[in-house]
Amino acid sequence: MADWWLPRNLFAQRVAGARTPERRAIVVTFGGGVRYEDTLARDGWVNIPHLASDLVPQGIVFPAARHEGLTGHFNSTGALVTGSRQNVDAYGSEAPVTPTIFELFRKERALPPEETWVVATNKSFGLMGGSKLRPFGDPYSANVILPKQLLINTIKSAVSTNGGPGVEDRQALAERMMLALDEGYEGFGWKVFESGRTLSGELKASLAKSLLDYFNDPAAPTSGDELTFFMTKEIMNRFAPSLLLVNFWDIDIAHYGAYSLYLDAIRRTDRLVYDLWQHAQSLPAYKDRTTLLVVPEMGRDSDVAGNGFANHRSGDESCRRVWLVALGAGVPKGTGTERPIRTLDVAPTVANILGFRMAECEGKALGELV
Amino acid sequence: MQFNAELTGDAATLARTHSGVLARLPATVSAFILVELTKWPLLFPPERRYQRALLEHLSRIPADELERSVAGIARVEAEAGASKIGERNPARFQDEAQALLRKRGLLVAWRSEVDVLFQKIDPALEAQLYPGDAPRRLIVQIYGREIAVQREKLWSRFKRAGLRVPLNLEGEADTERFLATLFGVVGNRSTTPALLDGAWVIEAHEALHAVFDGGDTRLKPSRDESLTGLSYDRLRSYRDDLTRTLNAKIQSGVESPQAFAAYARSLRIAPAPGALLRADDILLAFVRDVLLTGNGTMIVNNTFVEWAAAQALRRAQPRVLATRFGVRDKLKPFSSMIMFSQARPTDHVPAVPDPAGSFIDVEQLSYYVWVNAEKNPAYRGKTLYLFLAEGVDEMLAIGPDTAAPPTAIAPARLEDVCATMSIWLGVPVPDGSGQPIRALVG
Repeated sequence: MADWWLPRNLFAQRVAGARTPERRAIVVTFGGGVRYEDTLARDGWVNIPHLASDLVPQGIVFPAARHEGLTGHFNSTGALVTGSRQNVDAYGSEAPVTPTIFELFRKERALPPEETWVVATNKSFGLMGGSKLRPFGDPYSANVILPKQLLINTIKSAVSTNGGPGVEDRQALAERMMLALDEGYEGFGWKVFESGRTLSGELKASLAKSLLDYFNDPAAPTSGDELTFFMTKEIMNRFAPSLLLVNFWDIDIAHYGAYSLYLDAIRRTDRLVYDLWQHAQSLPAYKDRTTLLVVPEMGRDSDVAGNGFANHRSGDESCRRVWLVALGAGVPKGTGTERPIRTLDVAPTVANILGFRMAECEGKALGELV
Repeated sequence: MQFNAELTGDAATLARTHSGVLARLPATVSAFILVELTKWPLLFPPERRYQRALLEHLSRIPADELERSVAGIARVEAEAGASKIGERNPARFQDEAQALLRKRGLLVAWRSEVDVLFQKIDPALEAQLYPGDAPRRLIVQIYGREIAVQREKLWSRFKRAGLRVPLNLEGEADTERFLATLFGVVGNRSTTPALLDGAWVIEAHEALHAVFDGGDTRLKPSRDESLTGLSYDRLRSYRDDLTRTLNAKIQSGVESPQAFAAYARSLRIAPAPGALLRADDILLAFVRDVLLTGNGTMIVNNTFVEWAAAQALRRAQPRVLATRFGVRDKLKPFSSMIMFSQARPTDHVPAVPDPAGSFIDVEQLSYYVWVNAEKNPAYRGKTLYLFLAEGVDEMLAIGPDTAAPPTAIAPARLEDVCATMSIWLGVPVPDGSGQPIRALVG
C-alpha cells in the first residue's frame, strides 16, 4: 500500500503568504442521526465503549447539547459548519447560505485548498465545503470527497450489466474507476473544489488506486464509514490539513428498520472515532496539537412521541437532544458540564481553536475548550 | 380557494354537500381534504368514515368560530404567500404549498398550527367514531421459531406491563402445528376460523398463510375473502418487478424526488395470483404504498411486517391483527446503495440468515406495533395484545385490565389461548378448544 502513495504534499498547492496555524481541528459527526438514549444515556454506554471508557476521560463531555433547525442530514451538518441554522435543499443541491468555517479560515489565512477537507459518507454532501455567498464560495471552500459514492457507483456500474466487467475482474474495475474520475466525477457524487486549479492526473490516479486497494482488501469494503475512515487517514497522512470534517453516516441504516444494524453502526462509529484519534496521535503533524470534536449532527425520533429510531422527521425532543465530546489540545481532561449547548456552537468554537475570525452566526464558542 | 378536484360518486357528493365549509377553510387544509377525497375508491371504510365525520363536524362549527380556529394556519399561509400559487389541482397545490412553506422556513410553524386545529377537532371525532362500547379488538404478535430468542431479554421493551402466562407446549413441536392450534384451524382449511373473520395476517415468511391454504397458493384468493394476508416472501416476485421498474426509471433520469415519488405512486404492477389472500384494488394500492413509503420495507422482511401492520392499524383498522416475524438475512456489503440495481447472477452473494440480530430487531418492531395501536383510538383501551414466540413456553398478555392474579397461573395450552381469544372477541369457541385463561378474560 505504502508503495502506491507518493510523498506527502507532492500535489498540494503552495500559496504565497499562507499562514498555517499551529493548532489543528478535527470535527467528527457521529453521524446519520443517533439518539441520546442509544449512546450517551446510561443504557447506551454499552454501544459506545470507546467513547465512554477511552475518550471521555481524556476530555470534556457536554451531555446536554441540542440541535436546532431542520432535522435532515444536510441542513443539520450545514448548521454545524456555519454556526447558523440552514434551510436549503435537503438533498444537497444547494450550498449553505452563510459562510462555512472552511471558507472563513482559508480566506483569512490565505490557505490553499489542501488545508481544509470534508470527507463524507453521505452522498449528498458535495456542497458542504462552501457557501453560496459571492465573497466566499469555491475559491475558499474545502475540498470535499465522497469516497463511498465513488466506489459504489463504480461497483454498481460494473455489476449491473452482463456486458460489463464483473467485480471479480479487478483490473477492469480499476480502469472503470479511472474512467469514473475522468468523466466528470461530480456525477458520481465526487466533488473537489479546485479553486481555479486543476487536479493533476497523478493525484486522480493516486486517489483511484487507493480506493481500489481498499476494495481489494479481503476485509473490505463492508461499510461506507470504513471507507471514509480509510480516506481520512490517507488525507491526514498526505496533506495534514488544519481543519477536517469527517462525516460518518452508517448509523442512518436505521431507516431500514433493523434495530440491530443501527446498534452495530453505532458501535462501528465508536470504534472508528477511537481509531481516528489514535491515528492522529501517531502523526507528528497532529500529535499534541489537535482538538477533536465529536458530535451527532442530530438525534432520531423517540419511540412514543415520534416515529421510533428508524426516522428523524418528527422534530420531537429526541430528534434534537444530542451530546458533544471534545478532547486533545486545549481541552481539560476528565470533565463534563451539564451546561446546555447547541450544535451551532461548534463552528465558532473551531474558529477560536484555529484562531480565525468567525462571521456573525447564531452559535457561541464553547469557553471550556480554548 | 376554488380547487378543481376530480371527484366521483360518494366523494363528489360529499364535497358538494360541504362545499361551503371547504371554501372557508385555509387553502392548505381544504386541499388536504380534497386530496383524500380524490383517493376515495382506494380508501378503507374507516378512512371514509373519518373524512365524512370530519366534513360534517367542520360544517357544524359556526362560521366565526371556524375562522378563529383556523386563523393560525391562515396567518402562516399569508406569510408564505400561498395565495400566489395559481395551481388549482389540489394535489399539485399541496406539493407547491409544501415546497413554498419549506422555502420560507414556515413549514414547522404551519405544522404546529395544523396540530393545534386537529387537537381541537379530534376528541369530538374520536368520541363519535370510536365510542367506549365499541367491539373489543385483538392483536397477536408471534416470533418465528428460527429467531434466536434470548429468554432473559424476551419482550423486555414492555418492562413490567401485562402478564406473563406460562404455556404448556406439549405436542406443539413444529410451526405448523403451533399456529394451527393457536388459531383453531382444524380440518377444512378453506373456512376461516370465526376469530379470524375480517382479520389481517402479516408475516415475514409464509407459515401463517400456509396454515390457511396448506401452502397451495392456487386455492387463493380465498372463497370468502374474509381474511387479508400479506407475506413478504410471497410478494417476492412483486417486489422484484417493482424494484426493476424503479431502477429503470432512475436510469432514465428523474427530475426530482417529488417527481420520482409521483411516478412510483402511479405504478400499476400486480402481484402474481395467489401472492395475496385477497387482491382487490384497495389492497393492491395498500401493498404498493407499504413498499414505497416505508423505509426498508423492500429490503428487510421484519420491517415490512412492522410498517404494514402500523399502516393497517391506522388505515384499515382490522378488528384482529396477527403478525409473525421471522429471520432476516444479513445485509450484504454496500447493498444499501445498489438496491435498485439488478446485479448479474454471477455477482450475487449468497444470503446468510441473522437469527441473533433478528431477535434484537423484532423486540423493537413488535413494541412499535403495540405503540402504534395504543396511539389509535380504535384500539386504545379495547384491545388484548398477545405476544408469543414459537417454542417458548410463556407468552405476554397485555389487556385493558390485565393484572396479576393472587395465585400463580397454571400453564395454558395453545387450545386455551385460542379459547381465550375467542371469548375476548365474543365469537364461538372452536370445537376442541380448551379453557379460557380467566386472568385475561375474567
